[in-house]
Amino acid sequence: MPASPDVSRRLFLKSSSAIASFSLLRVGAPALIAITQAACTAKQESAPFVTLGAAEAADFAAIAARIMPTTDTPGANEAGVIYFIDRALGAEMSSALEYLRAGLAQLNADTSRFADDDEDTQDQRLSKIEDGDFFNTMWMLTMFGFFSMSKHGGNKNNVAWDLIDFEGDHGAWEHPFGHYDAQYAKEKSNGE
Amino acid sequence: MANNVTFDQRTPVDFAIIGSGSAGGIIAKELSTAGFNVVLFEQGPYRKAADFTHDEYSVLIQSELLGGGPEVSGQTFRHDESEVAKSPSFQPIRYAQTVGGSSVHFSANFWRLRPIDFKERSLLGPISGTNFADWPITYEELEPYYTKVEWEVGISGAPGPFDAPRSKPFPMPPLPIKSCGVLFEKGAKALGLHSQDQPHAILSQPFNGRAGCMKCGYCMYYGCEAGAKSSTLASMIPLAEASGHCEIRAESAVFRIETDSKGRASEVLYYDRDGNEQAQKVKAVIVSANGAESARLMLLSASERHPDGLANSSGFVGRNLMFNAHASANAVFEHQLNEYKGVQASRVLHDFYETDEKRGFYGGGGIDARSLWSATPIFHAWLGMPPDVPRWGKAFKDAFANNFTRQMTLACATTSLAMDRNNITLDPKNTDQWGRPAIRATYRDHDDDLSMAKFLQDRAMEILDAAGAQKAWADPIHPTNGGEHLLGTCRMGDDPASSVVDRYHRSHDVANLFICDGSSMVTSGRGQPTMTIMALAFRAAEHIKAAANAGEI
Repeated sequence: MPASPDVSRRLFLKSSSAIASFSLLRVGAPALIAITQAACTAKQESAPFVTLGAAEAADFAAIAARIMPTTDTPGANEAGVIYFIDRALGAEMSSALEYLRAGLAQLNADTSRFADDDEDTQDQRLSKIEDGDFFNTMWMLTMFGFFSMSKHGGNKNNVAWDLIDFEGDHGAWEHPFGHYDAQYAKEKSNGE
Repeated sequence: MANNVTFDQRTPVDFAIIGSGSAGGIIAKELSTAGFNVVLFEQGPYRKAADFTHDEYSVLIQSELLGGGPEVSGQTFRHDESEVAKSPSFQPIRYAQTVGGSSVHFSANFWRLRPIDFKERSLLGPISGTNFADWPITYEELEPYYTKVEWEVGISGAPGPFDAPRSKPFPMPPLPIKSCGVLFEKGAKALGLHSQDQPHAILSQPFNGRAGCMKCGYCMYYGCEAGAKSSTLASMIPLAEASGHCEIRAESAVFRIETDSKGRASEVLYYDRDGNEQAQKVKAVIVSANGAESARLMLLSASERHPDGLANSSGFVGRNLMFNAHASANAVFEHQLNEYKGVQASRVLHDFYETDEKRGFYGGGGIDARSLWSATPIFHAWLGMPPDVPRWGKAFKDAFANNFTRQMTLACATTSLAMDRNNITLDPKNTDQWGRPAIRATYRDHDDDLSMAKFLQDRAMEILDAAGAQKAWADPIHPTNGGEHLLGTCRMGDDPASSVVDRYHRSHDVANLFICDGSSMVTSGRGQPTMTIMALAFRAAEHIKAAANAGEI
């Protein structure tokens, strides 16, 4: 493989048309490293956003926080997903910036700013648009920011990886890897 | 030590090889170590092991090794000729653009074909609406080269109950069983089925001066930073370079093969890393650019003498594209499997390899147990969540936190039938970043391919149930929108009217032009083609060497 039984179909359905022009490869890998290093350096707690204004950043952050909410465990807020979004929209995903701004303007039209609502109201507002491209794009950015390496701006202190018990980018592993192969090894050695 | 030889562009080099992947890397090594001068062209960059990362966002999402997405490649896809092909959001024809080609980023599951794969048409009879045919060679003819792949490229494994005959044992033992393999084996056994070790082009122990697998978990779509994955980058290309007879010309995108007044290939035209046109004079050309790129290059090289494309008097260039059909079934178990560690798959079963007329359709395939979308989290978010879990909010988060380490997938891979309607052509509008007309794929799986995928998926669901899954679900099966296995588009055959190359990969039309890669395959096999591509490459190289030494090129 890679199997991807219908990876492409599902990716296509779940991704927005705006995503079609995202690629870092025009920038190239060395440039990526430079960009992400710059972003990391800039990412002080109080640092202003690089790409987004404060109000729109608050709205995007609030959307991400409903997609991956803070519960008894960390969510998008604690992972700093908005810092990933801010960086990516100024770099490899810059072609989505205006699209997302327009989508946000539509979401906020004739009503309160999204970030100012309570969580239940926010959830209701998102439910109405969850099948649309704007939501899908925000969903993807949230996943990217939450789960990708922290050098891309989010997943601060690997909180996302800790949440799912994923020791990513660890390097070498010894087997057994999990419960069932450990048990299997034990049974084999007992049987001998 | 690498000997960084360079060859003059105006002096005809013995061989230009186009594509440095599974076939090109092997042929370059074989010819250069035999003393022939070789320029090995690769459109992607020359990444080394140390350049490979575990960065899911860059590799998987930004398609780093694929050379970017469709906005860079211009690739288009459609299911039927009646449609206008569109550029989707995700690359439809997926192959790595890097020295070593897709052998760098593949999962390295390594199956031989079996004797029936080469003569199924004779055994089963014709299938209407298809170009179902026997190969011009047999398993027995290819067997020594399968063995050569195992011992020179480096394959780990152990024999299974239904294996084809082999002349030599595997050079090293299989990789250790993972939890998904244990559960699969349990379920299979309960149903009277036979799971076996999955053979891998990944070293289970140090071999030929290379390090063994460190089980980091980043195989599928990633390059191996330990050099334990037996890509041609890790196994063959260092030997080619050390010969002092092979120049790796990376970031060089070939756009045309010129022929001279005698109709022989005389020059390879390409864009260098700055986009400037360059030309290399050649004595002979070997095209190993993959089943999409090789066909495109033949079509791009049309001339007065070859109006429908080079080596295309049969009209078979680009036709008979085969992806292998796929299906998958997923399950969550009570305890942690931690499928993000280790290689993708450790167990496979081949009980359904052969066509069984009782099923009512052609085809066969294998089922393996693997991490698939539980190897890395973004992939899991995208494709791995159960269908009854909300896509966002607390329920999504809770399910994700529980399932990521407790989930596995049974991957089903099957035959694809060769048909005219499935093909590679030039897109009439789009171009790639170098300005070459883009690859357009037209593809709709044969009904039998989808039926076989469904049949295997049903068995996979039974296995997961018998293994004690807490919850299992089958991913929907639809006609595919693309693939990584790029097979059949310059098929080999004895009859120049219905094939592009002969049984030794020499094109029927141009005596000093050879094509060897997935495009050579006459049938698709059951789903893991790279082992066969590599064996064909060793065999082709041997015959090309002999022909060159005899002055017959």
